[in-house]
Amino acid sequence: MTLIKKIVLTAAGLLIMAFAGIYAFRYEESSAEKPAAAAGAADSSACIASKEYMKANHMRVLGEWRHSSVREGNRVHVAPDGRKIEKSMNTCLNCHSSNRMFCFNCHMYANVKPNCWNCHISPMEAP
Amino acid sequence: MKKILIPLAMVVVLALVPFIGVQYLGMSYLFGVIIPYAAVALFVAGFFYRMVDWLGRPVPYNITSTCGQEQSLEWIKQDSIESPSKPWHAAVRVLMEVFLFRSLFRNNKAELRKGPDLVYGSAKWLWLGGLVFHWSLLVIVLRHARFFFVMTPGFADSLEQMDSFFDITLPAFYLTDALVLSAITFLFVRRVTDAKMRIISLPTDYFPLFLLGGIVGAGVLMRYIAKVDVMPVKDQMLRLMSFSFEPPGEIGTLFYVHLFLVCVLLLYFPFSKLVHMGAIFLSPTRTMLNNSREKMHVNPWRKPMRIRTYGEYEDDYREKMKKAKLPIEKE
Repeated sequence: MTLIKKIVLTAAGLLIMAFAGIYAFRYEESSAEKPAAAAGAADSSACIASKEYMKANHMRVLGEWRHSSVREGNRVHVAPDGRKIEKSMNTCLNCHSSNRMFCFNCHMYANVKPNCWNCHISPMEAP
Repeated sequence: MKKILIPLAMVVVLALVPFIGVQYLGMSYLFGVIIPYAAVALFVAGFFYRMVDWLGRPVPYNITSTCGQEQSLEWIKQDSIESPSKPWHAAVRVLMEVFLFRSLFRNNKAELRKGPDLVYGSAKWLWLGGLVFHWSLLVIVLRHARFFFVMTPGFADSLEQMDSFFDITLPAFYLTDALVLSAITFLFVRRVTDAKMRIISLPTDYFPLFLLGGIVGAGVLMRYIAKVDVMPVKDQMLRLMSFSFEPPGEIGTLFYVHLFLVCVLLLYFPFSKLVHMGAIFLSPTRTMLNNSREKMHVNPWRKPMRIRTYGEYEDDYREKMKKAKLPIEKE
């Protein structure tokens, strides 16, 4: 009796696992959209926000960009003045990499270690 | 209820003072330079005064608190931590108290259940909550070293790395921020929910909790929500560290709220129950040795006693004793 019970329970568990697995993969395949193509050339003619705002909030902008572009595939940032800008590290670096120490000066001073350069190539490492 | 609302209102008013002062009256020099210096000076002086005062107090009796076998015959095992007989025993006991809250681990609770039954049980929540609270505060204070030194000291750096280990949110979320807020909440709820605790709790028990809550709240807001540019903050802290009187740069008002509440804490520290930070190291019941059988503990109040010997007595009354035919030792 108990043996049968065990077998039934094991089988039921395996079935649930199998369904869950299949469902998860099906779900991912059906819902995942192809990442949108780049929104065009990075527009870096002017910064997306004021200097004062960016000083205190740049990490927020970057965090929001990372989330919406990687998770939601939305790579277009609309600035308050209506300009459309590509959500890309290059958008920033087009201007700000002219000074190789642009990021590092302040981050080293305040001892803040951002995880940007875990994946991206930092201006300091760029050739 | 008043006991809770008055300290709460005090903290709110104290937080509003720098907000109005800096935001509307432009007194950033007062709140960014003068008050911090004054607060630190008073903290150091007050703490020093307290410690010197307590160190100088006489201890008339050997009042070690013990709960274990004292040092005795060789074949009786001594409980050296519970009943210290050597200085290092007492040192270990004090340090375990400081780092692990050892005596609080034995905390008990008594409850009246249905009629006359009084039930005792172990109560470890206060121990755990207190431990979380104090350790979080220590980590948070050490973590702030990055604002006070040009190069962050190594230990503070690694503490910060561990604290932001999970690397969620930007800037990385500190575990201790959540821990200290939940510990403050627990310590407050503990005082409010139990009728016995409510009765013995005083405004001076609630005020430090609210004040620390205000400090942590302002800090958390500044880091995660209402962002403040951190560069002029570090500039200002380095200036304070080098005893410079230059005016601070353009810093968000929230920073001044944080700083002012810290100054209030520093000022409040030596003159309140918070001074237990230093007092734990001076407490005679913890630091004295239970060696009263080996060494005589001399009461510092004891005045030298004039002793009258029998010889002197006899010298005074010899003639009278002779007349009364009492036996005398010396003719």
